[in-house]
Amino acid sequence: MPKFLTSINAISWYFLFPVIFIHFFVVMFPSVLSLLLCLTDWNGFGRINYVGLENFQELFRDRVFKKAVKHNIIWTVMFLTIPVIVALIIAYLLTGIKRGQLFYRLVYFFPYILASIVNCLIWRYIFHPRHGLGGWFENQGIDFLAKSPFAMKETALYAVAWVDMWHFWGFLVIIYLTGMYQVDDSLYEAADIEGATKFQKFRYITLPMIRPIFVLSLIIIIIWSVPTFDYVYILTMGGPAYSSEVVANHLYSQAFQRMNVGYASTIGVMMFFYVGIIVGFFAILRRMGWEV
Amino acid sequence: MNKILNIFLTFILTAFFATSTFAATKVVWWMESSADTDPTVQEMMCDAFNAEQDEVELECVFKEDINDTIRPALLSGSGPDMFDTPGASYIKIYQDAGLVKSMQEYADQYGWQDKLLGWAYNSGVFDGELYSIPKNYETMIYFYNKTLFEENGWSTPNNLEEVESLAAKIKAKGMNVYAYGSAGWQPTHEHLVGNYFNTYAGPDNVYKALIGEKKWTDPEFVEAIELLRKHMVDEGYWSGDLETYYSLDWDDFNNEFATRGSAMLMIGTWGFNVTATNFGESSDDWDWNPLPILNSQAGSAPNYQLATGGTMSINAASKNADGAAKVIDWILSDKARALKVTGSLGYGAWLLPLKYTDADFDPNIDPRQKRFLTEFAEASDSGNYGYTTWTFYPNDPGVHIWKDMEVVWAGDITPLEFMEESQRLWDQARADDALVPVGKR
Repeated sequence: MPKFLTSINAISWYFLFPVIFIHFFVVMFPSVLSLLLCLTDWNGFGRINYVGLENFQELFRDRVFKKAVKHNIIWTVMFLTIPVIVALIIAYLLTGIKRGQLFYRLVYFFPYILASIVNCLIWRYIFHPRHGLGGWFENQGIDFLAKSPFAMKETALYAVAWVDMWHFWGFLVIIYLTGMYQVDDSLYEAADIEGATKFQKFRYITLPMIRPIFVLSLIIIIIWSVPTFDYVYILTMGGPAYSSEVVANHLYSQAFQRMNVGYASTIGVMMFFYVGIIVGFFAILRRMGWEV
Repeated sequence: MNKILNIFLTFILTAFFATSTFAATKVVWWMESSADTDPTVQEMMCDAFNAEQDEVELECVFKEDINDTIRPALLSGSGPDMFDTPGASYIKIYQDAGLVKSMQEYADQYGWQDKLLGWAYNSGVFDGELYSIPKNYETMIYFYNKTLFEENGWSTPNNLEEVESLAAKIKAKGMNVYAYGSAGWQPTHEHLVGNYFNTYAGPDNVYKALIGEKKWTDPEFVEAIELLRKHMVDEGYWSGDLETYYSLDWDDFNNEFATRGSAMLMIGTWGFNVTATNFGESSDDWDWNPLPILNSQAGSAPNYQLATGGTMSINAASKNADGAAKVIDWILSDKARALKVTGSLGYGAWLLPLKYTDADFDPNIDPRQKRFLTEFAEASDSGNYGYTTWTFYPNDPGVHIWKDMEVVWAGDITPLEFMEESQRLWDQARADDALVPVGKR
């Protein structure tokens, strides 16, 4: 047998082959197919007609798509701020707790391990106008939460994002906490000798030292915000009046409700490019010497 | 030794050929699953069929979200011998793609056209051939709390003036006019749109629009949507206000109706079962009526909108199509049995669109249910029927109706803009040959 077939490099490839094989047929091939489908008017079953760039032209006229993109941006901004800030503060405070810290970690992380449908049903029930908080306040003669925030177009997107953030922020607490435990204690001891306050230690020691994990969490949030779907689908289906419609929800509706698979592929391609730009942006930062 | 071997081989070969020759043909049927009805369907349809004959062995497989399940199976050239779909618009797509078998030869052989109600048979005919048969039919009606109406001296409404006058009296009593909500099923909105099209614009105009002789932007349709907007947003007929309507699911609004939170429930005939059950636990009595006519151009007599709730078809790739046809014929051949099955399911499922007569009914049937079955049959036979969006609309215009109705209610677009978009999607569907059969009126 030729030597290169038994070299360490070759053996590595043998082990990688099954994964690459599966990845090709399950991820790469459908992705390439989707790139081609966006140039067709396929309905998912029958004839496939080539329509050129018609779907892209339609996409830029599509008011629901524009609305969905705007909602995705709002969604991303919310996730980049609220849960990140809360998780950083809580994680930092938790580092100071010696007894019972595990209990808090469990409590904060618990929503993350619940299925999205369970989280959604809990919050739908809480905001239910008849037997949720609104109903309870009404019985006390207080007009508060009389209408579910999921059912009002002014609040639906924020209410859904709230539920998703409630489920997500515990995950951030855990990864920030992990990063904070990596920080050398001697730095804090030195700061104590210098008389640094708790905030100064957080600002000048903790935050710079956990920067790689922190930046990773931001990248994760930005990328995960693009295909966000389940919470919107379960709680509002993008309504009322598209007020909580996000891009993935619009894609689903086009592909599986309206049976416009070609057009839905176009939306998918746009999402793919968007994620590509984000990943490319961080890759450029890394090449410029940023520690990301 | 050779003799023993010969006997042994002869026995084996005989057993093999006997098994091959006399084994029943196996037919697999993927059905839409419903936890409430699956055991009954298994027992009264699938097991009963297998017990009555030995030519065909039927295996019923219950699937959640049948359309999502069947699509990849059919596209891969495999799948079951028979399958359900949510409605005729899906069959149109399968038929275009050659994934569903024409049942015309079986329809001719077994005389299915004579067994089924005319409109129901026609709903499965594409390009002159039969591709699907409705498993269930339904229409939109309204239930009302009879005891409450009697206590207050209210009469059931027959026209727009009476509806609005009654609504004011009901609201004055601190109740909601109708119980309903869309939290459990967003397409619920299309029930209301269909009701207003058929009772305001009228079934003749809807028919003309369906076949392209009228525009959906004509005033009667725009006015129907405007009236629905007024009743939903300005008057809060359904569950008090738009936001509460968006928040209530099936259990919520059925419970609200049964506990006097609302005086009426405008819903499909699938509501018979749950209404009877819920009122069984209260001292109030209930009854139903066809929808009131809201405009004189919709005719003078109430109309019943035609709707099929699910269809059955044969897979084009099935190797046991003859066996599958025998299953279908067995189902359609005994009206008394069909009524017994649907009766066990509260007439909310498996209500096959057969030509029932008085003699077919169980003497113990609830008279209100029987009145519906006979009145619907008479009205639809005499041509006094309307059209539901979920049976007669192609996919894209159909989704538009319930997705974009919320935009009208939100005040983001006008009823005219809504109908202009509807017309655009209909033009597109017509150009793509994606329309579903309507049947001559």
